[in-house]
Amino acid sequence: MVNPGTESSAPLRVAGGVFTLSILHLESNNPQQLAQRIAEEYRRHPAAADFHRHAPVVLDLSAIPEEAPLALPEILEVLRAAHWFPVGLRNAAPGHQALAQALHLPVLRGQERNAAPQPETPPPAQTVPANPGGLIIDHPIRGGQRNYARGGDLVCLAAVNAGAEIMADGNIHVYGPLRGRALAGVNGQETARIFCMSLEAELVSVAGLYRTLEPGYPLWGKAAQIYSRDEQLHITALNL
Amino acid sequence: MAKIIVITSGKGGVGKTTTSAAFASGLALRGYRTVVIDFDVGLRNLDLIMGCERRVVYDLINVIQGEAKLQQALIKDKRCENLYVLPTSQTRDKDALTTEGVTAVMDELRKEFDYIVCDSPAGIESGALMALYHADEAIVVTNPEVSSVRDSDRILGILAARSRRAELGEEPVKEHLLLTRYSPKRVEDGEMLSLGDVKELLRTPLLGVIPESEVILQASNQGIPAIHMENSDVAEAYKDVVARFLGEERPLRFIQPVKVGFFKRLFGG
Repeated sequence: MVNPGTESSAPLRVAGGVFTLSILHLESNNPQQLAQRIAEEYRRHPAAADFHRHAPVVLDLSAIPEEAPLALPEILEVLRAAHWFPVGLRNAAPGHQALAQALHLPVLRGQERNAAPQPETPPPAQTVPANPGGLIIDHPIRGGQRNYARGGDLVCLAAVNAGAEIMADGNIHVYGPLRGRALAGVNGQETARIFCMSLEAELVSVAGLYRTLEPGYPLWGKAAQIYSRDEQLHITALNL
Repeated sequence: MAKIIVITSGKGGVGKTTTSAAFASGLALRGYRTVVIDFDVGLRNLDLIMGCERRVVYDLINVIQGEAKLQQALIKDKRCENLYVLPTSQTRDKDALTTEGVTAVMDELRKEFDYIVCDSPAGIESGALMALYHADEAIVVTNPEVSSVRDSDRILGILAARSRRAELGEEPVKEHLLLTRYSPKRVEDGEMLSLGDVKELLRTPLLGVIPESEVILQASNQGIPAIHMENSDVAEAYKDVVARFLGEERPLRFIQPVKVGFFKRLFGG
């Protein structure tokens, strides 16, 4: 408290956070069956009971048909009786989402529900480009510009200037000087690498590991590759 | 077909307005019908540099808002036969510029003129975006120092992404680099980035180098575009810029420090 008893002028602190939660895939809309399944599980693996005790859990409803009635209060009761903390729903049909809202249970996003259980439809005709997600850029990338190769490699045949940002789910190759920021493996691919002909980057990152660089760096201005190994970022000279 | 050229930089105080005035005058001296437009709404400067501030009655904003005809706002330059100035408003702010309004003015000017020179405000906000939107070519004015180069790089990126040509997927805006306030002596002493450094950082074709000179200050204060300052290196450098822009070959001048002779050093200049 800054000033007990008086109104604080500081704004309310609201910040984003990322949490890992367990997801329970609901097999049917029958609460009794769920109770039975949990009891079986705990009998078979007594340790699981301890593990799940007081664990927050998200219910995945993708297996529940849209028109099926859902006894959500009873299902939540079963979970609580088994010492779980249901914190949200996902992949719920619109009707089920309304139920959750009535119970003040958040509907979480991610992995959207398919419109209907898909009867084996053939994959849509070849709409995939020859180079899926790859991006080749043949002009300088200027300060303030951002390029992202989603699902593939990014190749830049010119300079990446200070203040520019290039990102790729795969590898990054820069054949001009790399002076901006380069982030490879941004979707978590740890085997991604950055290759450049002149390392002058402000920041390099592979799969979330990053470091900043200064002009005094030993490989400054040299051809280099950047990769991740054992949770560490390695920068080595490209001696070809 | 008229060609629209934006004089831009990102950073302020690097010589955009000086360059706009000198460059537009230079085109007019070559016989081209030229108009130079001030886009810096609220910070009207071009008319001062052109020496026509006492003749401003209507301005660009009046034309956009339908309060005056274009012909009423255009001011004929007193030195060049073919040059007109379209001043901006001192009292409004940049929100008075609307996309439709600017487009209408540009379309009308295209019919009358060979070259339309747009003097952009500093920054990357709506005024600057309006000034560069219609450009066919861009002259990016840069000083030999790191922050100016960085801002020029940013504006080059915006030209490539936000111009009309970029939005319509046409041939990109043709980019020219103009290095101003260049002091070969200070480059030699390591106080300024060299021509080579700037070219290496921006990788944009060089249109010219304007030396740092007191003549620029004299010219601005007298309301004379620098290209009219006879026998000055600045005027010569701007004439070279215009010639290169028109496709002529001119060697770069004023990029070597002036050698001070033995006697001059001994007895002072």
